[in-house]
Amino acid sequence: MANAEQQRIAGEYVLGTLSAASRAQVQARMQREPELAAAVRAWEARLQPLTQLAAAVTPSDQLWSRIARSVAQRTAASNAPRPQVQHSPLQRWWNNLSLWRGAAGLSFAASLLMGTLLLTRVQAPPAPQYMVVLVAAQDKAPGFVMQAASAQRVRLIPLGVAQIPADKALELWTHVDGAKPATSLGVIKPGQPFDLDFSKFPIKPDMPFAISLEPPTGSPTGQPTGPVLYSGKAVKI
Amino acid sequence: MTDAAYDAALMACARGDQTALRVLYDAESARLLGVALRIVRERAAAEDVLHDAFVNIWTKAASFDAARGSGRGWVYSVVRNQALSHVRGGTREVTVDEEAMEAIDAQASAQTAHDVAQVFELNASLGKLNDCLSKLDAAKRTSILYAYIDGCSHGEIAQRINAPLGTVKAWIRRGMASLQDCMA
Repeated sequence: MANAEQQRIAGEYVLGTLSAASRAQVQARMQREPELAAAVRAWEARLQPLTQLAAAVTPSDQLWSRIARSVAQRTAASNAPRPQVQHSPLQRWWNNLSLWRGAAGLSFAASLLMGTLLLTRVQAPPAPQYMVVLVAAQDKAPGFVMQAASAQRVRLIPLGVAQIPADKALELWTHVDGAKPATSLGVIKPGQPFDLDFSKFPIKPDMPFAISLEPPTGSPTGQPTGPVLYSGKAVKI
Repeated sequence: MTDAAYDAALMACARGDQTALRVLYDAESARLLGVALRIVRERAAAEDVLHDAFVNIWTKAASFDAARGSGRGWVYSVVRNQALSHVRGGTREVTVDEEAMEAIDAQASAQTAHDVAQVFELNASLGKLNDCLSKLDAAKRTSILYAYIDGCSHGEIAQRINAPLGTVKAWIRRGMASLQDCMA
């Protein structure tokens, strides 16, 4: 049974009044708080009849073909019979093993992942010293890895194509020496490796990284404005 | 589409049957687009939201569990979540004038019995929800409906009904608690 705080936050989540950051937080909490997830489902069911109050609007003729194209791409990309495989079997295996809890698990996963990257030749890395696994806020599935060839040269490698709205972009952030304002490391293209220049602030153990959802040209304020979709810390290997 | 047809369509999508997605689209896309459009308020953006929602329905169909809720509710939640993440991540939040908000807060914080016009036509087809919403006073009911149907943030509701932000938050909190009790 959900407590009063869970009930209240579940109600506001379903109502839609929460900020992007709070919404992302609730989605992350639902993964580990079954009472909260149940409270959200109960609110969804309670309020669902209200959707009748919105007048129906016929979509344009092109919309279905757009959807069909995207679905065909997803299905072809996953080349597996079940459409749910957004994550590779390997990624699901990691999820099942709950490797994502705690630094010990993370560094173990990082070294495992290193081996995988070598085997699958995603890239031939010249003796990396640091590894960052950026996991999704929502389900802790690994979304990106950052591999450091040295403390100055780092490459961000996507493990899949992050699904984001067409009018949005992903921006990578860090905190240099624990400084409060975040430092932007640039807007990244979904599905493509991205080379980062760390010559100004060398990568260090436990250095935090996050990827937020921003306007296409990046955050207008120089600080993250959208929800954080992925985050992780640097691990020395 | 009936509740059973909804559940069946989702289970077929989970098996990789693209025809089922098309059946769902043909039957429900107009209603779903209507819901998205009220929240995002721009036709092109609403179609983008519906596109993303249908791709999500397809990729996540296997996570739908009929034991935990209706397929219809699941689909509407996917569409509303997509629409809300569009408006909450976007610029609309920033357009609420902070200074105007503070002025309203300062001037009107004493008023509690707010005179809020009836802007939503409820009807009996909402069932018990209709009865429970009707028991709320107009301010609480309207705030809740502005949020759920029009995707308004607290700030936008405060501007629409010219009430202090804190008061709107309290109305929603108490209104939701009353609704939950009433519907239990």
